Parts: sequence; structure tokens; C-alpha cells
Amino acid sequence: MTTQAPVETTMETKPLLMKVRGMSMSYGAGPAENKILENLDLDVEYGQFISIVGPSGVGKTTLLRCLSGLLKPKAGTIEVSGTKINGPHPDLAVVFQDYSRSLMPWMTTRENVAFPLQGKGIGKAERNKLADEHLAAVGLEGQGGKFPWEMSGGMQQRVAIARALAYNAKVLLMDEPFASVDAQTRFDLEDLVLDLQHKLGVTILLVTHDIDEALYLADKVVVIAEKPATVVDEIVTGFGETRDQLATKADPRFTEARARILVRLRQD
Amino acid sequence: MTNATLNAPAVPSRASKAKAPSSSAAAGRKILVSSWLIVAVVAAWWFGSANSTNFFIPSLESILEALVRDLGNGVIISGAWYSLSNLFVGLALAAFFGICGGLLLGEVPLLLKIVDPIIHFFRAVPQAALVPMIIGVFGMGQGPKMGTIAFACMWPILLNTIDGILGIEPTVRKFSKVYRIPRGLHFRRVILPGATPQIVAGIRVALPIGITVMVVSEMFASIEGLGFYILNSSATFKVPETWAGALLVGVIGYIISILFVLVEKRILRWYHASGAQ
Amino acid sequence: MKESTISPGLLWTLRIVAIAAPLGIWQLVIASGTMPSMLPGVEKIFSAISEALGQAAFWGGLGKTLLAALTGWLIASVVGVVLGLVIGSVRFLDNSTSILIDFGRSFPVLALMPVVIMLLGSNTMMEIVVVALSCLWPVLIQTIYGARRQEAAVADTVAVFRIPPMLRFTKVLLPSALPLIATGVRISSAIAILVAVGVEVISQAPGIGRQITLMQQAQRWDLAFAYLFFAGLTGWAIALLLQQAENRLLKWKRQNDD
Repeated sequence: MTTQAPVETTMETKPLLMKVRGMSMSYGAGPAENKILENLDLDVEYGQFISIVGPSGVGKTTLLRCLSGLLKPKAGTIEVSGTKINGPHPDLAVVFQDYSRSLMPWMTTRENVAFPLQGKGIGKAERNKLADEHLAAVGLEGQGGKFPWEMSGGMQQRVAIARALAYNAKVLLMDEPFASVDAQTRFDLEDLVLDLQHKLGVTILLVTHDIDEALYLADKVVVIAEKPATVVDEIVTGFGETRDQLATKADPRFTEARARILVRLRQD
Repeated sequence: MTNATLNAPAVPSRASKAKAPSSSAAAGRKILVSSWLIVAVVAAWWFGSANSTNFFIPSLESILEALVRDLGNGVIISGAWYSLSNLFVGLALAAFFGICGGLLLGEVPLLLKIVDPIIHFFRAVPQAALVPMIIGVFGMGQGPKMGTIAFACMWPILLNTIDGILGIEPTVRKFSKVYRIPRGLHFRRVILPGATPQIVAGIRVALPIGITVMVVSEMFASIEGLGFYILNSSATFKVPETWAGALLVGVIGYIISILFVLVEKRILRWYHASGAQ
Repeated sequence: MKESTISPGLLWTLRIVAIAAPLGIWQLVIASGTMPSMLPGVEKIFSAISEALGQAAFWGGLGKTLLAALTGWLIASVVGVVLGLVIGSVRFLDNSTSILIDFGRSFPVLALMPVVIMLLGSNTMMEIVVVALSCLWPVLIQTIYGARRQEAAVADTVAVFRIPPMLRFTKVLLPSALPLIATGVRISSAIAILVAVGVEVISQAPGIGRQITLMQQAQRWDLAFAYLFFAGLTGWAIALLLQQAENRLLKWKRQNDD
């Protein structure tokens, strides 16, 4: 049934993991309607890292909440692996910005990571094993017995990432995941996420207001702007698999893309 | 239903006009949501008990009849007057001694440290156990009942006053000191208002204790008051009157707590408005 | 004002003086004969306290009071927590029940006692029902507050990871509401003892309150005071015990607030 869908990009070669068509979102109704998102299209390929960048207050969080099924869009469709979703889906996991609140303080880090697995009905021994493996993968080997509040902010966000990975979703949605940590920790976490993506082949959709972060991490940057927000530009970065905080950011393509996004956002 | 995309951008005045009827509808829905259960419970009681053959569970109709009759002939009014005057005099005494004692102990930490175990012991004494003691010693007049209520209600007020004073911002105290505010003025205008939210909370805790002790004292030994009315009705097997009395005490308790909330809102306007809680 | 720094030895000496002084005044007042003559002197109360310790009637009464208070309190806690979590997490139920709950909490349940006696008789069962009805409200109300206050981020997390309702109930809603539940449970423990003793004072239900009334009627004022002393001691011990339990159970809460 997708035969008559218009093709707007030229790279319709790989199969699509996630497909968003004509998504609109608003609050209220009638003349008082407050439109947040309008007619938004998005294609996500298997294994791709996509950054969605836009100015503060443009509706990025609303967009991510719609994509994750937490909010029901007023119009349009979201498909994951060819099926339409209505609400949270087992193929989607989310890493929230507010790690200190999205982790449960009454659970140890191991219990936090294992908790969604318990919800899936996985037995205790198996889910603890999976939790420990994923904690090790994010560099927290042997820290499963600690409570989140015994850890630094960066470590807590690693736990949140481990929890999302252990859930074994196909797409990881990240909402400004590094906005509340200091700059050095942020670089470490960015490289960790890139590394995990390559090792595990997971598809990532990251929302940020930071243009550098968006470019550095992504294979494709989607720029959203205007009110109501819609996609105003898409840039395929083409930096390849290995990136470096200094070298990549000094790449002429990086500076050029950055200027292009800045100009695009300033037009509003 | 969401296709409003062709509309022109809304003019604010139009938007607010369009909003008005919908918000009054929302208010109506709110009232409906908050009251349907009460109506349902009363209706269930009314119809469920209408043909009750159990002697001890009379129909709601006969309970209300008894209530209206005894309200009309003054039996309940004089009982309520007796009970409530005991309650309010007792509470007033408790508030006076609780607040004064609390101010003293809160301001003199050494004294607080010394008497701390005593306070905690007296607070832990089940206040209802005092009823036979005090009434046994001082007789069954109104004074001993007021005294029992006062003694029972004093402890939560005392403890909360102390908490309130210990919780006053150190900066506020420093300010008072730096500007050499005289001691009396400092007490009246800084310490007392600063501790008021906690004091009011203490009185709120004391209120149901007071009502409970009031009922116990009248059921234990009295020939007047609402507690006596209930107990006497049950002793003489006037079952609808027993239910009516219990129901009435409940309604009075509810009305007092609503009045209390209204007074509290007024006294603590600054506290709620400043978002200090 | 200034943080007072005195040695623990001196503090305890002063505390003993603070306890001894009113007892001394009591003794003087009794000796002066200005108070009603049935009031016992301090030495009589002390000997009655040791006498009470050897009495089966005292221990039996205390045990019955504790049993009724604890049972009623436990029933109220379980019912209050379960109901409160459900009501607090469903907006519609929360709005629908608010007036009813406000009414219930300001209802002096002891006034209902004669009605309950008519239905159940003057016994421990009746006492448990009255205690449970009185203790229900603080637990219920605090639990509703706790369930209402749930963090948006936690709710989002639960939704995204599709946590099933039962698991959400026991592992998320309950622990996050626990600090407020603990407050409700603590408040109602004091109410449980108060109401249990109150019921015993005004009905024939057996227990320490009944014993106090009996002793007073038998003109054994010294024993009545001794029982009162132990009633206070018991209430104090329960308050301390609950505080300890709460501190242990809510370790994460205090750490998290720092």
C-alpha cells in the first residue's frame, strides 16, 4: 500500500526501519488550537544514526514523544518495520534527558536495567545476566549493586543507555540525552554511543538543540524549524564510521554543514 | 475532527470568546464528577435500607425522620451546644498553652533538650485513657471534660509550634539581630508569623483528636451532649436515633474541618501565595 | 538561637531533675491535702508500677489492647494502601472520591461505636472494626497523595518500556508513594492505640483502657496511674519502632533528596 507514496529523497535503496508520513500534532481544538508539528515526514534506515536538530522550544520533545508512542499524533502515520504503531512499541526504546528522574531511585542499577525485561516476562537469572552484560557494555562492569544516586550524572546516563539497549529494541530514541552533563562527560558519552552503535548495529534517532553534537554523531541530520515545526532541511554527513572529537569537527564538510544549518535556522 | 487547517490564525478575543462556554461546560462536568459518587452512595443506602427487616439497620428514611424530629424539638441542638462548647474551650486552652509552651521551648534549645523525653512520653499516652482518670477525680461537669480535651489536644500543637520555630530561616533571625529589632517585636512580628503554618497544621491534627476525646468523655460519663445522645439512644434501643446521632457528629466534624480550611486559607494567604510550602 | 553545647552527663542530670521536680511538687500537693483525697502519692504509684508488672490482668489487658489496635491498624493499612494507589493513579476516581474521603476523614468514628456495638456486640471484633475504620483515612489520604505525585519521567519510562499493570503497581507506584504512605501509617498507629483505648473506656471490650476504668471505679488510683504510665510507654515504643523501620525502608529517599 505504499506504492503511491511520493519519494522525496534520492536514496530509496536500503529497506526502511521507520517511516513517518504527514505527522501533525497540536494541543487544543478549534480557533484556540496550538499547532506544534505539521506534516512531518521522516525515513529511518536500518543501522542509521539520525540527529534531529532544531532551536529550543520548536517542539523537539513533542516530536520525540510522538515517535515513541507516548503521544498520539493528530494526523499522519508512524510505521516501524512495516507496521503502524499506536502507542509504545517493543521495537522502540527511549533514553530520556532527565536521567536522575527516569531511573527509579529505589532500585539498584542492575534492577533498573532488568526492570523492563521483567515486564517482558524474562526470568530472573536471565534478566540479571542481560543487565550485567549491558552494564559492562556501557563501561559499568561490576557496578550493578549500586544505587543510581550513588553515581555521577554521566554514570547514571550510562545506566539509562544500558537499560534501553538491554530492552533489545530496534530503534533507540534519545531526547537531549547529554544536555544535563558537563562538557567532558558529554564527549565521552557521545563516543560511547557511537561505539555501541557500531558494535551492536542498533539504529539511533537523537534529538538535540546542539548543532555540533547533531553533526558529529549522525549519518543524517534532519533540521526542523518554523511554527508549527516541520522538516526544513536534511543533510547526509558522510563522515564514515570512525570519528574523532577534534578531527571530525575540523573537517571542512563539518564546518560547511554547520554553517548551512545555522543559516537555515536563522531564516525563521 | 481535527481538520481545522484552513482556519485563519485565531484572533485572541475570538479565541477567548470561543473558550468561555467550553470552560463553563468543563466546570459543570467537574461538579458532576466530584458529586456523582455521593449521590450514588446516599441513593444506595436509601433504597438498600428502605425495606430493612434488621432491627439494628433501620431505613435511612427513619434515621432522617428521627434526626429532623429531634432537631426540631431542641434535644439535639442543646446537646450539640454542650458538646461544641466543650470542644472549643478545650481547643482554645490547648492552643494557648501549646503555642506558649512551644514558643518558649523552640527559643530555648537547652530547655527543649532537657524536657524532650517528657514531651514524647506525654504525647504517646493514649489520650482517651485520661478520660476516666480526669473525670473520676474532678467529677462529670463541663470543666473536667474541657480540661481533658485541652490536655489531649495540647501535645500536637506544642510539638508543631516547636518544629515551626526551629524551621524559621536563619537569615530571617540574623536580619532581626542585625537591625536590632526589640525582643517583643521580634517575637510578635517575626517568630510567631514564621511558625504560624506549622502551628495551624498542629491545630489541624489536634482537631479530630479533640472531637474523639469529646465523644469519649460524653459517652463515659455525662447526661448531656451528643455523645450522651448517641449512647443513651442505643441503651434505650432507639436505633434510628443512634444512627442519626452518629451521622450528625460526622456531619459536624466535616463542617468544622471545612470551616477550618477556609480560616486556614485566610490566615496563611502569604504562605500559599509565596509558594513557600 | 545559639547551639547549646553541654556534656551528656549534665544533660541527663538536668533531665532527671526535670522529671523529679514535678513529681516532688505532686507529692507536696498530695501531702498538703488541697487536691481530692483519692489521688495517690508518688511512692504509691511507683509501687503500683512494680505491682502491675506481676499482674496477669495487666498483661492480659495490655495484650488485648495491642492485639486489637495492631489488627485494626494492619487491616486499615493494607486496605488504605491498595485503595489509595488505585484512586491516586486514576484521575477520574480521584476526582469522584474526594468529597467522600474528606467526609470520612473528618468523621469521628468513635461516635459510630454504639452502632457497631449494636451490630457486632461489645467485644474485640467490634473494637477491631472501629480501630480499622479510624485508621483507614490517614493511610488512604497519604497514599493518594503519594500516588498522585508520581514523577512524569517515571510515568514516561513505565509507558515506553510497556511495564505491565501489576508490575507497575508493585515495583513503581508502591515504592514511589512509600515515603508518604509511611507518614500515613505512622499517624494511624497513634490513632489505633488512641481509639482502641477509647473503645475500651466506654464499652465492655477487654483491654488496658477497660482495666484503667475498672481500677478507677475500685478506687485503686495507684494502679490506674500505673496502667496509664504503661499505656504511654507502649505508645512511645511503637512510635520509636516505626521511626526505625521507616528510616531503614526509605534509605533511598533520604539519599536521593540530598
